[in-house]
Amino acid sequence: MAELDTAPHHTLERSKAAGRRSGVLSVDRRRMIGWAVVMPLIGGLIVFAVYPFIYLIFLSFSDSNLGTLFRGWVGVENYTDAIGQSKFTASLFRSAIFALMTTLVSVVLGVVVALLLDRAVKGRQILRTLILLPLMTPPITVAVMWQLLLMPKGGWLNSFLMDMALFSQPVSFLGSPTMAFPFVCLADVWQWTPFIALMTYAALQTLPEDIYEAAKLDGASGLAMFWSITLPMLGPALLAIAVLKLVIAFKVFDLVFVLTGGGPGQATTVSSFYIYRVAIQQFDIGAAAAQTLMFAVVVGLVTIPFTTAHDIAEKRLS
Amino acid sequence: MTATRVRKFDGGTWLADAPVDLWTLARWAGTAAVVLFFIFPMIFMLMVSFKTQPDIASGGFVPEEWFWQNYPDAWNSVAVGTYLRNSIVAAALGALVTLVIAVPATHAIVRYRVGGKFLPAFILATYVAPPIVALFPLFFLLRSIGLVNTLFGMALVYGVMNLPVAFWLLSSFVRRLPEELEDAARIDGAGYGSVLLRITVPLLMPGIISTGIICLILAYNEFLLASFLTRSESTQTLPVGLSLYQGDRQLRYGQMSVASLIGIVPVYLLAMFFQRWLIRGLTAGSTR
Repeated sequence: MAELDTAPHHTLERSKAAGRRSGVLSVDRRRMIGWAVVMPLIGGLIVFAVYPFIYLIFLSFSDSNLGTLFRGWVGVENYTDAIGQSKFTASLFRSAIFALMTTLVSVVLGVVVALLLDRAVKGRQILRTLILLPLMTPPITVAVMWQLLLMPKGGWLNSFLMDMALFSQPVSFLGSPTMAFPFVCLADVWQWTPFIALMTYAALQTLPEDIYEAAKLDGASGLAMFWSITLPMLGPALLAIAVLKLVIAFKVFDLVFVLTGGGPGQATTVSSFYIYRVAIQQFDIGAAAAQTLMFAVVVGLVTIPFTTAHDIAEKRLS
Repeated sequence: MTATRVRKFDGGTWLADAPVDLWTLARWAGTAAVVLFFIFPMIFMLMVSFKTQPDIASGGFVPEEWFWQNYPDAWNSVAVGTYLRNSIVAAALGALVTLVIAVPATHAIVRYRVGGKFLPAFILATYVAPPIVALFPLFFLLRSIGLVNTLFGMALVYGVMNLPVAFWLLSSFVRRLPEELEDAARIDGAGYGSVLLRITVPLLMPGIISTGIICLILAYNEFLLASFLTRSESTQTLPVGLSLYQGDRQLRYGQMSVASLIGIVPVYLLAMFFQRWLIRGLTAGSTR
């Protein structure tokens, strides 16, 4: 994501020169057409991002419900209310933990899978196709799959644990205040690890081979080479991938919707689900708007350290 | 040990040559575990789709008796066919909208630096916001122009939703494009539009296909926006239809599995047939 800034700087100069040479399209004219061509994209972003954002700002200072918007201005009341609601602030915290936990686990697991993929000589094609599938699966269906595995009556995990005589009674994993959250995380890790593995695998292919040759001549072991060559050189790429995963994790909704409905109690109520309920069940759009904006701030606060770390790591490497 | 560290070894004799040491065994075991972890939930759902309700509750892995009736039952009791059609229409139209907007725009932004450094950063920043941000404003916007609860409205929403992703994916393809061909065509007197259509788009085809498939899948899988913006069977997409099972007092697991399986067939087929395009697209961002 951040690498986008590193577009070749000679492009403009070269195309300028070409334009002058040809005399057909002046640079000014090309710029004009360029802007015209970019306009629909900007329009789309305005509709999907800028307008909602501004709209939410206005809504957040108003008393609005799903039927009637803007019934009056209430100042910062929606914000102070939100801060006062421990359930909301807890959901922010929970979203952050969810994002960080699933990112950590799926990046570690993703690197392992990428290394296995890199070393597999036979069956790499099959392995790659297989791990693509979780990524392709609609999150709603991922949730259904894990619901089937985890349900207390007839779920595979319960039958397995009881067959192994580890449990005598079936356990409701998703109904347990302590276990529901980790299992929702697990379902998310299942879906997103393949994505990280593929990206990491691609990044692995860009590492120069001669360093490994030299290290091997020096008698370095595989593990030593991983820690001292592969990991440091993958650092920037991994951080970029982690940022992407964090952003995606904050968007989680479907999994919670199907697996737990936010429960038991509030155990799995992440912010997007909490806000959805405020809007759908309490019809309080004003409050939902204020909470959405506060949630967006939290997303930024959690993500920024990682983008900063990525920029630092990239500079240090080059 | 050293034999296993050779990168990009070509040829199939490797397995025979390598000493079967602990490291190799661990790698095989690890690969097997990974494969099992990733395909197990799918296999189990497949098994459940062939079980009767009591059989599901008894908790075995393989059905006691293969019960095919779930398939016609699921097809007849919920509008799986309609949901599937809605999903495909909304996703395909949406991906088309995304491509039509994103291809020329990405080309102009990357090649001619339209919008300088700000625009690319801004486009990606819009992706960071969770979709819940856009949910209510989009609902009111669509309601005011009469597009709530229409497939066309959903397609437009998906079309703009995936613009940042499409820009991100396409920009790495545009960057690798040779400039000389475009410049040569321009010297021959071709205008902006014809250069774009006759030179750039054909050269970009691999990137366009990869991006199109990824946008298609993202739209096909989307749930939150669809659940809020579509309200009737004639417009609801498959994920929304699947979520309706959750409202039943007695969850029909067998039929729900069938409907879920029907829903993943199109994306899995896409994944199989376009595997190379998909992987090229997905990894475009990390290998520039």
